[in-house]
Amino acid sequence: MTAQTTLQQAMPHQAPPHQAPPHQAMIDEWYPVGLVSQLDRSGRHTALMGEPIVVSGDDAGNPLVTGGNGRILPVKVRYGHVWSSLGTPTKDIFSIPEADQPGRRFVDVGVVRVRCSPLRAVENFLDIAHFPFVHTDVLGAEPHTEVQNYTAEIRADVDEVWATQVKFYQPQASKSASGGITTEYMYRVPAPTCSVLYKTCPPRPSEWDVITLFVQPLAEDLCDVWPWMALFDDETSMTDLIHFQQMIFLQDRSILENQIPRLLPLDPGMEIPTRADLTSIAYRRWLKRHDYTYGAQLVAR
Amino acid sequence: MRSDTTGFWTPVALSADLPAGTVIPARMAAGTIALWRSQTGHIAASADRCPHRGMSLSHGFVRGEVLSCIYHGWSYGRAGNCLRIPAHPGLTPPDAIRVVTHDVRDTGGIVWVASGIPAGDPPDLDGFTPLRSLTADADRAALALAAGAQADEDGRLVTNIAGQDLCLLLADQPEGRTLIHVLVRSGSDAAARIAASRSVERLRRMAESASHKGGVQ
Repeated sequence: MTAQTTLQQAMPHQAPPHQAPPHQAMIDEWYPVGLVSQLDRSGRHTALMGEPIVVSGDDAGNPLVTGGNGRILPVKVRYGHVWSSLGTPTKDIFSIPEADQPGRRFVDVGVVRVRCSPLRAVENFLDIAHFPFVHTDVLGAEPHTEVQNYTAEIRADVDEVWATQVKFYQPQASKSASGGITTEYMYRVPAPTCSVLYKTCPPRPSEWDVITLFVQPLAEDLCDVWPWMALFDDETSMTDLIHFQQMIFLQDRSILENQIPRLLPLDPGMEIPTRADLTSIAYRRWLKRHDYTYGAQLVAR
Repeated sequence: MRSDTTGFWTPVALSADLPAGTVIPARMAAGTIALWRSQTGHIAASADRCPHRGMSLSHGFVRGEVLSCIYHGWSYGRAGNCLRIPAHPGLTPPDAIRVVTHDVRDTGGIVWVASGIPAGDPPDLDGFTPLRSLTADADRAALALAAGAQADEDGRLVTNIAGQDLCLLLADQPEGRTLIHVLVRSGSDAAARIAASRSVERLRRMAESASHKGGVQ
């Protein structure tokens, strides 16, 4: 069976002739499509990979996701969000064990729409070298621009991208940080448009704060980004936590909407990575290996 | 892009609109470039794309004699070569990391950028002084019709409106738009400069409404 027939069977009312080539591997993945806390009967009219969808909740709060012609789509509730898929997911949503850990505060940051490829949004989240220039005096500051060696790999056992031993000097690493510290990071990419960041937790040095980026691909060059956090921080108000993360991501948006090309180039030659970009290199390699190419371009053009 | 090899100059900005230590996007017919002036006043033009992660360089910043990308701070000299990668302070960037540059001139109060290799210098604007720039949603022909005069091959259109000599430099932009640089007779007083500005606004509206009437609105 060709990929094209698979696509048509999965989405019989989809794929008008002008649409991008099939992306079955990504069609069968789970994506965030809304906040559980904002479900209502009238529903959120949005899109998933080019198909209009409606995310609503019944009176009991059960989520319902319908596709372009009213067909019922798979639905799950996890990490404060409603998740859905246009295809037939073969795996459950990736696990974040910290989401079940007592004492953490869970922060629904909300949504930020970005005119960029969903894959570029994730790649930017994996990057630390931009901190001094894009998140100046918050997540980074000159002259502390050096990216020290770290490890990035595709872990075969879990089939995820991992970066570890990532360290960076930060003037204000989080809302709970007072003054500059060298922050340690671990990054994880468990799904093509989702990333989980584990970060030094200032009030509790033995634990990691968890900050995620869940990206809803609306189109190949348009996405809704849903950051979510599971933090140890009993001091900061929820509003301040949300504002901090929204400020950070809005700074990222000014970059993401001005990158050329809009799609993430997977072929070498279009862009020049350095040692600091090892996570991005592993991410691109992993995307290519799995045919996760919705939002990517394979040939320089 | 033109296929002829002779090359030509495009007036992209007024010199006064590009102070030392700044970078701006400049739209040419073939696309946008990053136009910048160093702290000591040297002007340069490069491709508007950092080769590292594709970020637009016209969103960057100028310090001293270099242009830096706003994303990761990669710095470029006037010749387009990468001078510094802040993530790796000890590394001398290989010569292969560079941005394409364009020949650029700052003369007569106008910044000119070369496409190809122009045969000579940018045209002489003697007797005229730059006043302002504006963009018209109309092409060169519509503007010529509204002005009652044709532009020469350098895009220079000299006309007289309400008894006042005006020189307009026309630069083609994408999507049928035209960038207009307005010049007045050197020594014009404030009242004359205001009158010139208003005359060209009227001219722009005439050209735009004429081209939209025949268009597909």
